[in-house]
Amino acid sequence: MPESNTSPTLRAFSPILITLALLALVPIWSGDSRSMMTVVTTGLAFATYAVAFNLIFGSTGQLFLCVGALAGIGGFGSAILSERAGLPFLLTMFLAAMLAGFFGAALSWVAVRRSLDTIFTGIVTLAFALSFENFVLGRSDLTGGENGMQITAGSETVLGRQVEPYYVFLALLGVYLVIYRVIERSHIGWAFRALRDDDVAASLAGVDVARYRILAGWIGSTMLGLSGAMFAHYRGFIGETTFGFGSIDVRVLVMLAFGGIGSLIGPVLGATVFTIVDELLADSAQVREVIYGVVTVILFLSFRQGAVPAIVDFVGRVLGRRPAAKAAARDRE
Amino acid sequence: MEAVLIDGFVLGLQFGILGVGLTLVYGLGGVVNLAHGQMAVVAAIVAARLIDRGASTAVAVGAGIIAVALLGVIIDRTLMQPVYREQSDHRVLLGLLLMLGVGFIIDGVLEWRYPIEALNLRVAGGPVEVFGVKVRRGSIVASSIIGGVGLLLVVFFRYTTLGRATRSVIQDEEGARLCGINPSTVRTAIFGLSGALAGIVAMTQAMTSPVVSTAGVGLTVFALIVAVVGGLGSTSGAFLAGILLGLVNTVSATYIGTFVSSIILLMAAAVTILLRPQGLLSRA
Repeated sequence: MPESNTSPTLRAFSPILITLALLALVPIWSGDSRSMMTVVTTGLAFATYAVAFNLIFGSTGQLFLCVGALAGIGGFGSAILSERAGLPFLLTMFLAAMLAGFFGAALSWVAVRRSLDTIFTGIVTLAFALSFENFVLGRSDLTGGENGMQITAGSETVLGRQVEPYYVFLALLGVYLVIYRVIERSHIGWAFRALRDDDVAASLAGVDVARYRILAGWIGSTMLGLSGAMFAHYRGFIGETTFGFGSIDVRVLVMLAFGGIGSLIGPVLGATVFTIVDELLADSAQVREVIYGVVTVILFLSFRQGAVPAIVDFVGRVLGRRPAAKAAARDRE
Repeated sequence: MEAVLIDGFVLGLQFGILGVGLTLVYGLGGVVNLAHGQMAVVAAIVAARLIDRGASTAVAVGAGIIAVALLGVIIDRTLMQPVYREQSDHRVLLGLLLMLGVGFIIDGVLEWRYPIEALNLRVAGGPVEVFGVKVRRGSIVASSIIGGVGLLLVVFFRYTTLGRATRSVIQDEEGARLCGINPSTVRTAIFGLSGALAGIVAMTQAMTSPVVSTAGVGLTVFALIVAVVGGLGSTSGAFLAGILLGLVNTVSATYIGTFVSSIILLMAAAVTILLRPQGLLSRA
């Protein structure tokens, strides 16, 4: 990419800076309340899941329906290593993230080698996710099963305080977004776009489709594992449903449906809106699932590219700035 | 051991019919109905509500099955229309995500309105002896009904116009259209039939143990595994896979443990996709 000055670089990374700056202001109004801080910090953790899933699914079209399980490998892995084996928790987070990355790469490898299409990749990863849930329930000696697991490691650090963990997750989100952008702008991103649009054409053009798919699976799953591990140490308690399909994958899908699949900031916006709506509906918890279902159906039916890009497009058209909207669309791809 | 095998066989028949319902809808329109189990539960809860209000069991069961068949038709005619307009991978993905959403809606409504409702159609009378083994009377009735339904399905696909049309659309949609078959009508009818089959499974399950309002997700997962092992789109494969997995599930749940047996079933699906993606029966 020809870069005569620094402005293209600045322009590429400025959305990340703006997003982080805006999100950094949240504790100003929620900082006093412990429960509100838990809500917004959990929201950020979900934003990191969404960005990681977006790297796997949005960039290379691999439908991983095991986001929760990969995060859970990170969470339970780190918790078990630190609580039961007594290793320092920074080390266990690293090891658990590596383990999740290994599983993700292995799933990718299998899917690529057997040239599974979207639906079969989805079913195999779903089977993996449900097996993981059964494993968590079945090996209660390790995971605490239905009673869940207390985690003390990390609680004496900043992760145990009220406001600081929010910034730890914000930093993590920033790192993930930068990684996403850097990949997008490198030759890897070029290969990702080529194989997502048409993998046969890409491989004929000399793109090693298998290698890039596995790379995306590995990086994204490592991110998921690290987020899950950090979340476990932050919450101090994880149970059978913490990383379940219903509590993570479903939400991440709704977030992506809203924010747009394959965009940089979309998943973060999706996570933000989801967290706000979720909190507004907290009093009517029973209707929540119905509303999510309705929202998912409407979003997938009406905005194939995600609601945010569609809204941006609409606003652009209203303002008569069609070229700007087009540029945004090009930017996304 | 024999008793376990018979239980497994009865469960397997039910799995089979669940899988057939899922596989038919996939074969025709490329939609993986991730709300299949939830639809079965809808039938059960409709029947349970009617029985609570004093309806006779037969009426309630019939109404439950008709209700879920109608639900299938409505979903096909409304939500699935944009899906059918898409092609190949996009169609599958959109169908899957939409039905996932529908599954939430059904689950959410059931949990919200009828959290403790359950359908119980326990068949009166003591156990019956079959081949020297005591079998619950409910199991006998349930498996006869399912067996009858299976036979009717065979007749339907072999000898009726709609059944033959269905098979031809599964094989080659364009070719069927050229022969004057309207694929869209066939799809709607079969989505309804699939719903009715799910409803029948729920009714027969209720003959041996209550069907609770939260059972949907579990049933969907079983249906998906069975359909995958049988080869998505193959009805006879799904039926056979259902019987096989029902036996495997019951035997391993009895002798090893429920968590392990769930993992075995899930692994069976994964391994099938990896080694024989076309399923148990088909050559190719």
